[in-house]
Amino acid sequence: MEEPSKRQSISPVMAMFEGFRSELDEHHDRRERVIKASRDITAASKKIVRTLNKPLPAFVTKSNAQYWGIIQTQYKNISRDLQGLNAYRYGRNITGGNQEFMEALSFQHYLEHQNLISYKEAKNYVAKLGEEGGPVLLSTEDYILGIFDMVGELMRFAITAMATSGELPGTLIEKDLPSMGSHDEQSGDSMDVEQPSTTRPPHAQKRDVLADLRELRLCLEGLEPSRGSKFEGDAEKKMTVMRQCVEKVETALYGLIVRGQERPKGWIPDLREERRAPEAVEGY
Amino acid sequence: MADRSGMVDPAIFEDLQARIDEETTVREELREIVQSLEKQNKAVQFILARAHSTPAYACTFGTSTLYRSAQLTTPVSKVISDASVAVEDQVAIISKLSQAASKLPYYKWNTMWSRQIQDATFGILLCGWLGGNGSDSKPGRLLTIEEVGGIMKVPVNLKDRDAFHLTIEEYLQALISLVDELARLARNSVTLGDYLIPLLISQFIKDLHAGFQILNLKNDSLRRRSDGIKYRVKEVEDVVYDLSLRNLIPKDEKDEKEETGGVVVEQPGAW
Repeated sequence: MEEPSKRQSISPVMAMFEGFRSELDEHHDRRERVIKASRDITAASKKIVRTLNKPLPAFVTKSNAQYWGIIQTQYKNISRDLQGLNAYRYGRNITGGNQEFMEALSFQHYLEHQNLISYKEAKNYVAKLGEEGGPVLLSTEDYILGIFDMVGELMRFAITAMATSGELPGTLIEKDLPSMGSHDEQSGDSMDVEQPSTTRPPHAQKRDVLADLRELRLCLEGLEPSRGSKFEGDAEKKMTVMRQCVEKVETALYGLIVRGQERPKGWIPDLREERRAPEAVEGY
Repeated sequence: MADRSGMVDPAIFEDLQARIDEETTVREELREIVQSLEKQNKAVQFILARAHSTPAYACTFGTSTLYRSAQLTTPVSKVISDASVAVEDQVAIISKLSQAASKLPYYKWNTMWSRQIQDATFGILLCGWLGGNGSDSKPGRLLTIEEVGGIMKVPVNLKDRDAFHLTIEEYLQALISLVDELARLARNSVTLGDYLIPLLISQFIKDLHAGFQILNLKNDSLRRRSDGIKYRVKEVEDVVYDLSLRNLIPKDEKDEKEETGGVVVEQPGAW
């Protein structure tokens, strides 16, 4: 080991720290780019969901094109920052955007196909958005948490539809499936809400939003996150909100069945007074 | 409800659960290794803590010539050799962790061991500062991140591939722990009658403080902890002040301080 010369004693430390500084600066810049993109993706996804949130599938496409464009650009811009080692390094910075986008994507998918987009489909979809920068990773956690949020959207969708049409939306069922909507609806205003419960087709054939919500709820409740993981905590929080969302639709439907006739069309069931949730619950 | 016409393809959630279960297995395997590392960290700390109560350098470094060439024969050399043995066990566990973790995406799992790796780094740094870990029994040396990685037998600051490594953040966190520990050692060595070590520590901490000053830290734990360094600088300055006020620092040593004190880094401009 050589004897360090007198003045050398200070500069190596500064040189070392200068090295650290440039490394950390690079890291922070990358991190901020990802966070910014995540925010923009979140905002655009929320806008998509808002517009989608109309009981008519016809509204689905046009007005949202610009937001899909924003999302595409954002993912493209940051895909380079999210390659290899960095895919998980900035995972927690992009997860917000990923989840929100997942919510929009799965909701749109539901409105178009009446089923749940699979993880593989969603993963491939997001990966493609990375374009030349390389695929962007959508983790299973992002996917699942996005689906949790999507339940809230379905709830809004169902409540709004019930308020405007006076029935639970079942009209979205594919044409070859038995449609519940066509069975109980004679005409919008004079709909007899008590009759359908007896004249409805057997339960197994029924497909409406509530049935889908319940099915989703069962699936989400069935998941067992690994103990001690961050995902466990995240999922737990969303689980409460998700359950309340399903219950809100059930309560609204109850209100519709019991008192539906007495109420004018366009009336929105005021659940906020009946059930006040202690925590942050998805509002309408 | 008939699955056939249902909304959710059951395969989706079966697949998800399978993925989660896989992760649970990985998590348990890692947790076991990390726990044994934590245990070993404590063993190393336990040994190194004796430095606070071991009369060390006063006799050995009575004069500056001795200071440079001393081979420690005082009890502190026993602390260092004991610690070095414990560090070897530590490194063995880290190798095991490195092997298991290199199969996985690093940043997906690193929160599981980051704390323990910081503590292990701190132990190695302190041992190196006291004169062990290839420091040739001379106190006051700062092991660079590359040197720590060399001792741990792991790569550092990886960017081009995804494998286990020591990050800059972990190294910096360990440096802050080292500063805290040395501030304590400065006082304790005076209690033991060693009036030179505080001078060495004072310069060392000042150099590190200057280093941290040039970093652009965000509002994270590194920032919050590094904010405390200035208080450590002051603490040690107070010790030095107390000593010089009472003329406890031998005159010739005061002059030598400039030469021997401060951070000694052997790495020539690797950055």
